[in-house]
Amino acid sequence: MNLGTRGALTFRLGDYSFAVRVEEAGGILDAERLAQLPGVSDPVAGVAAFRGEMVPVVDLASYLGIEPRVPEGHRYALVLTRGPDRFALLIPEIPKLIPGRELREAPPDSSNAELGDLFDSMLENDQDHYHCLNYWRIFETIIPPVGSSAGRSTPMERGN
Amino acid sequence: MPAGRDFREDDVRPAQSSPPPAVVVTFVAAICAGIAGAMASGVMAWMAVGAVALGGAFFASRTAAPRKMAAEIGRARRLLLLLDRGGSAEAKVPPDFVEDWAQVYEKVNRLSFEGRNPSSAPQADQLKKQVELAASLVRDGKDPLVEAPELRAGPLLPLLECVKGSSSNPVVNHLSLGEEEELIGAGGDALPPDWPKPSSEETGPSVGPAFEQGLRDLVHEIESLRTTLGGAAGGGTSSGSEDPSLRTPAQLVDAVVLTAADGIEDLAAGLMRANELASVAERVTNRATLLALNAALEATRSGSEAFAAIAEETRRLAEFAREATDTISRLSSEIEYKVGETITAIHATSNDAKTALAEMSGSAAPLPSNRSARVQVVRLLDRSRELLKSLGASESGAGSGGAISIHSSLEPRNSAQDNVENVPAPAEKSPVEGILLIEGLKPGAHFES
Repeated sequence: MNLGTRGALTFRLGDYSFAVRVEEAGGILDAERLAQLPGVSDPVAGVAAFRGEMVPVVDLASYLGIEPRVPEGHRYALVLTRGPDRFALLIPEIPKLIPGRELREAPPDSSNAELGDLFDSMLENDQDHYHCLNYWRIFETIIPPVGSSAGRSTPMERGN
Repeated sequence: MPAGRDFREDDVRPAQSSPPPAVVVTFVAAICAGIAGAMASGVMAWMAVGAVALGGAFFASRTAAPRKMAAEIGRARRLLLLLDRGGSAEAKVPPDFVEDWAQVYEKVNRLSFEGRNPSSAPQADQLKKQVELAASLVRDGKDPLVEAPELRAGPLLPLLECVKGSSSNPVVNHLSLGEEEELIGAGGDALPPDWPKPSSEETGPSVGPAFEQGLRDLVHEIESLRTTLGGAAGGGTSSGSEDPSLRTPAQLVDAVVLTAADGIEDLAAGLMRANELASVAERVTNRATLLALNAALEATRSGSEAFAAIAEETRRLAEFAREATDTISRLSSEIEYKVGETITAIHATSNDAKTALAEMSGSAAPLPSNRSARVQVVRLLDRSRELLKSLGASESGAGSGGAISIHSSLEPRNSAQDNVENVPAPAEKSPVEGILLIEGLKPGAHFES
């Protein structure tokens, strides 16, 4: 079965396991020290430097309303790219790279409804199920494109 | 006294009755002079009176001198025994000591008591060697002053000379067999028959001052020894702040604990530094892991096998760094735990040691570090004791107040050397106590004549 991806970066956040396709991933950063920005909303943890550019970092757990299992500790930024645009997801662990040959498409389950319109697809391997989200929608809800009126609310709230 | 003169049997006169007191002799001489003056007349009468008076005075002096000399020897011998026993804080001046002898007695007692602490010193070694040499020659039946030229200049010279000279006095022969055993100890080595070689030319009255001078030289020698040892017992009180050998056991325990604490503190500082380096290594490992992950990500995205190979090697390197970092962290934690245990054990041991020291009457106990020095002192005393036995056989203490029971309170006497070998460890018994037990005394007992 062709997943249309060479692999995925997977990580856990709370009770969920998420996956980011390698085609969307730009790299991994050490987010031990982030530059804080004044006057920004909570999900934005700050900005980080990635290959000479400033990249906004979004705290995914804060955005999704999920309590991470590891409250404090070392954090990492998973940079996503789409054309010239970049932003990063703040995650609590170093993601694992799973080759595409080990992944397969999985049917949606009940937990996908909680994620609302952020849910994109479901991947699985022998160990776990992974939620693939439309991460750019997260970025757009936080920093809406010019002319957009998208408000800021958690997917859980929107699902309710 | 001609040294080295051959020994003759007739030099030692057989034992006789006690000589008449000088007062009686003088009284009889005066009566004889009166009778001679009454029987003669004129110049002959005065000559007869003078001749009888001179004869009586000479005879009286010959009878009084041995007693005086024997008393002097007895007093000197007490001082030597006092030196032998190491002195006592409770010792009192014997009632028969005159003023000069009382001062010497107190001085010798104080120096002997204070001199129990000093460690080995060149003067002590020299004195010990001289005593050993003299005792050895005496045992071999030789004259120390003839066989060993170095003894002619040492502090023992006056003592050896006067005792040797005193052997010609009849009082030596008044010593009965039982008294001799009392003096030198039952089963002890008897005085060699040919030493000291008697001399008929030396007379008693000159022996007393020489003996006293010898003792004063000996006292001076001890004072020099004390000075050389850095005031180890200065004034009878030791501060114990500078010389480690003068510290009390409790202070030594504290010093050991402080030394161990300093070492462990250094170890803890090094451990903290190691933890910092381990933290840096962990950070490097995380960077290496991120590098490997980014390389793998790019290789996956590009599909390049060469890039994938590099990414795989980078991943292995990151894993190796991770394992090494984990090992360092684990070892650091184990060392930290063991250091904590060691600190606890040191404190527990320190408290146990202090408790034990307190139970053994604590700070008055001698120091373990001085044990070797004390063993040497005991050996020196052993040699001195042998010499004293030999000297004691050459003098007479009977009826002169100089007879001293050296080992009357002892069981059949063992060699002091054997006792030295059996000196218990400092933690079990005080070596000073051991020295006193050698003499059958309890700690604190004072010398009694």
